[in-house]
Amino acid sequence: MLELHHWEPNTFFLKPLIALKEKEVAFTSRYFDPTRFEQFAPAFPRNVESGLHLEREGPLLVHDGTIVSSSYFMLEYISEAFPGADLSPGDSCEHYRARASGQFLGLTLGAGVSALGCAKYLVPALAKLDAATVRAQIAAIEPQERRGSWAAAMAGGYDDKTLVTVRERLKFPVKRVEDALAKSAWLAGANYSVADIDAFAMLSVLPDLAPDVVNAQATPRVIDFIGRMRERRAVKDALAMSRTGKPHEAFVPGAEPSRWG
Amino acid sequence: MTVTLYHWEPNANSGKPMLTLAEKGVDYQSHYLDLLKFDQHQPDYLKINPDGTIPALVHGDKVFTESTPMMEYIDEAFDGPPLRPKDPKQRWRMRWWMRFFDSYFAPSLSMIGWSIFVGPAARNRDPAELKAAIERIPLESRRIAWRKALFNEFSEAELAESKRRVLYSIGILEHHLAGNRWIAGDAWTLGDINCFNLGYALPLSQPDHCNDAKTPYIMEWLRKIYERPATKATWAKGRTPMASRVAILERKVH
Repeated sequence: MLELHHWEPNTFFLKPLIALKEKEVAFTSRYFDPTRFEQFAPAFPRNVESGLHLEREGPLLVHDGTIVSSSYFMLEYISEAFPGADLSPGDSCEHYRARASGQFLGLTLGAGVSALGCAKYLVPALAKLDAATVRAQIAAIEPQERRGSWAAAMAGGYDDKTLVTVRERLKFPVKRVEDALAKSAWLAGANYSVADIDAFAMLSVLPDLAPDVVNAQATPRVIDFIGRMRERRAVKDALAMSRTGKPHEAFVPGAEPSRWG
Repeated sequence: MTVTLYHWEPNANSGKPMLTLAEKGVDYQSHYLDLLKFDQHQPDYLKINPDGTIPALVHGDKVFTESTPMMEYIDEAFDGPPLRPKDPKQRWRMRWWMRFFDSYFAPSLSMIGWSIFVGPAARNRDPAELKAAIERIPLESRRIAWRKALFNEFSEAELAESKRRVLYSIGILEHHLAGNRWIAGDAWTLGDINCFNLGYALPLSQPDHCNDAKTPYIMEWLRKIYERPATKATWAKGRTPMASRVAILERKVH
């Protein structure tokens, strides 16, 4: 029994959808709307790991009763646990590159992309809801980390200065990706792998959210990479699972920026 | 192919590949860098790792600089006992706990540690020298972190939040180990190596919250790892009192 609990095919939610489509693994789609706080309903799958949710909000994969969270590790799980297309990079060195990329981009792009997306799309969407109801729903969230990130979004907590800093800090991981793509066709090496699915899910929204950082002149290889990914059948199929028709506008609080600065 | 590891004390990120290599039985050339003297930002080392972070593993002509993925590389690339579970579910759990320690538990624990222990000692040095050393750090994120650490720029709110997270983490780790012999389940894995390196000093750092009475499962888990020959051999490579802290895990003889 394989169930994927997910929202619109964007950022963290998009990753396992692409991987499962690549593998052609049959799964039951459990669509939920995190902006309606459906992930905090009593019946929603939960354990210690998914409750804390290091990415704050994201997909859950439930496989024969085991709850798998954290989107990059979920990609590795799908790669290792199911037959089908090989999504692992070639050798042990390329496995390292994929894992190092997943770790680095998850902590950098994962935080920055979510902040920009929430500022542009989530904050205005929350403002249309009944404020008292939303505040009450947020007040009931456990653990504290997730409650805090929603409260910040509700308060419109992304001021201009913060967003300028976020955009500036995106340049470093984006340049790392641009440089990596100068060395090989795919991020971990010659083979398409989970590292590419991971990066695409976060990079693909940046031409919209940070056009000054990701564009054809400044980052031609990243733009080309996004284009190549969009041509893949699995990516098209995953994006076609959108119910709103606007998956690129679907954002929720994401990975926490480093508390050390 | 030769194997060379650039590392500091057997502690935190440096200790992860040190203990992994020891468990695999891999001989390596050891290059000790003094983190507190900023050896890792000197030109010779920047030729190895331009980011100026440690550890760095050099295997033949390949260089690896991220400590947690480095551990999985070592397990894959070398002979010796497997250090990852075969079962994908246990393997996922191992990775989740490593990330939990890397990005949640350890940063909070180290913020407290730097504020109370390491930072004050480092601040005895010439402030101008420290500022110059910080300016030489290649990565902006690391410059910010070092500035906060050396000049104690942690706010009361940040330290309080770190304390809360440490206590929360101790609680869920104790609960997890009550139901699992090791981090990933029933097998000794890289998850234990990772979490031990980041958490072995917990009974010293948080004696009121991590002790035999309150967290017996954490204490037993730490002691089991401490007693492994590879752990003893690795911690013997320490050059400062930091490494000798591991002796707090010696079982008391009644």
